[in-house]
Amino acid sequence: MPILSTILWLPLAAAVLLAFFPRTAESAIKGFGLLASAAAFVVSLGLLRGWDDAQAGFQFVEHKGWIPQWGISYGLGVDGISLWLVLLTTFLTPLIFLSAWNALHKHPKEYVISFLVMETAMIGAFLATDLVLFYVFFELMLLPMYLVIGVWGGANRIYAAIKFFLFTIAGSLLMLLGIIYLGFQNYHQSLTGTPTFNIVDLYHTQLTPQAQMLLFFAFSLAFAIKVPLFPLHTWLPDAHVEAPTGGSIILAGVMLKMGTYGFLRFVLPFFPESSSRWSTLMLTLSVIGIIYGALVAWVQPDMKKLVAYSSVSHLGFCVLGIFAMNETAISGSILQMVNHGLSTGALFLLVGVVYERRHTRLLADYGGIARTMPVYAVLFVIAVLSSVGLPGLNGFIGEFLILSGTFQASPVAATLAATGVILAAIYLLWLVQKVFFGPITNEENRNIPDIAWNEIAALVPIVVFMVWIGVHPNTFLRKMEPSVKHLVATVRGERNDKVMFANADATASANRNTTATAEVGR
Amino acid sequence: MTLHPLLEPGWVQAILPELILSAGGMLLILVDAFLPRIKGILAPLALLLFIAAAWAEALISRGGIYFGGTYEMSPITALFDLTFLLAGMLAVLFAREYLERENMEGGEFYALLLWGTVGMMMMAKGLDLLLIVLGLEILSICIFVLVGYNRRAPVSNEASLKYFLMGAFATGFILYGTALFYGATQSTNIGVMTRWFSGAQSTPLLTVAFVLLMSGFGFKLALAPFHPWAPDVYQGAPTPVAGWLSVAPKAATLIALVRLFNAMGPMLPKVSWMSMVAALSTLSMIVGNAVAIVQRDLKRMLAYSGIAHVGYMTIAMLTVRDDSVAAITVYTIVYALMNIGAFGVVSLLTKNENDPHTLDDIAGLGFRRKFYGFALAICMFSLSGLPPTAGFIAKFYIFKTAIESGHTTVALVGILTSITSVYYYLRVVYYLYMKEPAEGSTPAMFGGIFATGALTIAIIGILGIGIFPAQLFQAAGNAARILLRQ
Repeated sequence: MPILSTILWLPLAAAVLLAFFPRTAESAIKGFGLLASAAAFVVSLGLLRGWDDAQAGFQFVEHKGWIPQWGISYGLGVDGISLWLVLLTTFLTPLIFLSAWNALHKHPKEYVISFLVMETAMIGAFLATDLVLFYVFFELMLLPMYLVIGVWGGANRIYAAIKFFLFTIAGSLLMLLGIIYLGFQNYHQSLTGTPTFNIVDLYHTQLTPQAQMLLFFAFSLAFAIKVPLFPLHTWLPDAHVEAPTGGSIILAGVMLKMGTYGFLRFVLPFFPESSSRWSTLMLTLSVIGIIYGALVAWVQPDMKKLVAYSSVSHLGFCVLGIFAMNETAISGSILQMVNHGLSTGALFLLVGVVYERRHTRLLADYGGIARTMPVYAVLFVIAVLSSVGLPGLNGFIGEFLILSGTFQASPVAATLAATGVILAAIYLLWLVQKVFFGPITNEENRNIPDIAWNEIAALVPIVVFMVWIGVHPNTFLRKMEPSVKHLVATVRGERNDKVMFANADATASANRNTTATAEVGR
Repeated sequence: MTLHPLLEPGWVQAILPELILSAGGMLLILVDAFLPRIKGILAPLALLLFIAAAWAEALISRGGIYFGGTYEMSPITALFDLTFLLAGMLAVLFAREYLERENMEGGEFYALLLWGTVGMMMMAKGLDLLLIVLGLEILSICIFVLVGYNRRAPVSNEASLKYFLMGAFATGFILYGTALFYGATQSTNIGVMTRWFSGAQSTPLLTVAFVLLMSGFGFKLALAPFHPWAPDVYQGAPTPVAGWLSVAPKAATLIALVRLFNAMGPMLPKVSWMSMVAALSTLSMIVGNAVAIVQRDLKRMLAYSGIAHVGYMTIAMLTVRDDSVAAITVYTIVYALMNIGAFGVVSLLTKNENDPHTLDDIAGLGFRRKFYGFALAICMFSLSGLPPTAGFIAKFYIFKTAIESGHTTVALVGILTSITSVYYYLRVVYYLYMKEPAEGSTPAMFGGIFATGALTIAIIGILGIGIFPAQLFQAAGNAARILLRQ
């Protein structure tokens, strides 16, 4: 089986098998979930081994007809833009099962199944090279997340789950209309007379300025809600606060990136003129989001809400980098997506650890617990520093690239956004100060057990990557560079024909390979 | 004009499914009357008859036009007939244990389902307006009785009477419209009408005829503003009947309308009739989805959701071309699976039939009766049009043809109302999985192998079509092309 299909379907296959497990075999269920997601991660590492650093187009391409009448295909591929996001997804999912090992009491079977289904959906969205296939996965991930928030969430979970669902679906259904229209226009213009929803083919669709603008807003709305961009962010704090720890990690770590990924993969190359024309609007909204998110985070009495609003601020940086539309900023933006997945994932995990022990997330209920939980405190501080953007850790690289790239495009936006970095330092260090240092004011905090083995096991790999990206970002940047270059060229209209041909060749050879495999199979 | 011999060779094969169902219905009544001891075989026998009819439909019947140009067998009629048979089968499966529980199983129940299916087949295959009306009447009489089948329950009687009175009016409208069309075109034959319409000019008489026909058919489709009967009738009818009623007659009416609109094709650009239909469609989507939000009774909610779904299907009727006919075909098949499935789960609730079946009755069901809960959740996801279910692919098809035909505004209304619909479909899922049942009450469900089998068919169908739709599209597309080529 080709590697991308294996990564994609392995979690779902495991979920189907899990449905037949007896519900009392809790350890077996959790163990199997962990094993399956870890296996998916190991398989996904194979992408790095076969990776061609010089290639800008999709690699490991798979292509099969799905609904041939409409030109919709089962097309998978991965390029420099999606590579690290796929790996981030496969990396975080096993850590969720690991961290929830002892914290999962209610319907563990359904919990594990939901996360495995979600993993397949998220990977599918990153891998799809067909617009409709992408949409299918994009929506599919909503259902398990709705259940995760609604079933395993906090007190106000129903409200949060429905709000989350309605916000996202409202955007994505409008995008669906846009997808259909785009495919129709492309079919209308195509010389071959065959319909197609292949992303690369759709890049060539000619649109009237007005149509392009409407489509730009239909797509942007869907992705802006997902990111979430100010002022569409209101679902996020609710969803995060009510979601269980694992749900928050996946939501912040991967699902929000669907929005930024969508901007990069679809909005910029499909509608380059509109993107440039409206980039000021997007930059403004990003900057507002960065500063607003930071200020609101600052005054949160609840740790989880604080981290949630910090996500609004950090994701603002990602969108800022995307709409600066140059290589430096976009590379930084992609890297920052991964960074945010790691640091915020770690922070949500860590907040979950104390919540599990004390059943409160209020800053005021803590204080001085560095003395009772020293290991925990160390890990927490590392995660915070990574999120703040301390040089030597991952957050610094991403933010630096974004800001220096943005400065070329819009010095004002970059300057204003830079205050977000300062504010992040204030509210996050404020959080550390309040929770860990000072005298122990609350007697209940004297006997909190320190972080457990499974939680450490989940956090250490994250910390390793934080340091790795911070010290040697080139490992990561190198692999995305050609794709980012190609994307920027596409957006600026300086199509590099060589790259285009390389793309066509890759697709053709992949097709040949598929045919060859099919023949062998026969 | 050439005279056709009245009985062309091969006519027996052509109407074999109808013959099987008609004779089978009588057999069922006779078995019930004379061999009451083997009552248990009634439902399996009815199923067998449906399967035999499907077999005859798919493998024996040959395409062609029979009975003097009034009865057509073609791939599209075969697809619709199979949809009716599928709906009938699912209804029998759900009805078996339901009737046993309510202690009212009888041969005539299944016989009426069989005969109603014959009526629908006549509507699908009739090439003559009178034959279509005749089929509609056969169907309607069966529905009157089936809706009132639970004769000890006042709600059931009320529903039956309501449907009877309003249905009689609707039939009157359709007949009057037919008469006016006959006055204008000198024929009730669709073929003759097609030729006539190709050179016709619009007259007020024709517009009146069209409005009358649309009112009558709009009633049968539960298209707003002809919809108010639907919630009351569905609520009162025995639940498996309600599920069947919400799907099959609508499918039959739609295919008859497709024929009619196709015949009028050359005329339509000259008149604003289609904007009337567009208005009906828009109104249905808005009314159906908006009112469904405030329903707490599951059957009423599904009734309003059905009104909205007919609104979606009507979008594709606005321009009759092969893609839109295929979209309607696919949608009806998918709708049959998901809506009968949803009603089916509701029919398993052990409740006094006079009481409403509210959302509270399914609270916590998802973790207690896992299979039923899962089935209902899948049906809800499909009804709201979320991938990877068939509901998504069907809706996608509808909106795609709408955009390609230039009906972007109506499609936009469809999208916006779909967003609202997600709210009330998901509320069911919320009650299933996230709500604890009220103190002291446990969700009581009664179902056996028949209901489980029906739900399995529904789930496999919904997910199967949702994930591998290509073959169905191929079949529907070809069938539509053959229909429209004539």
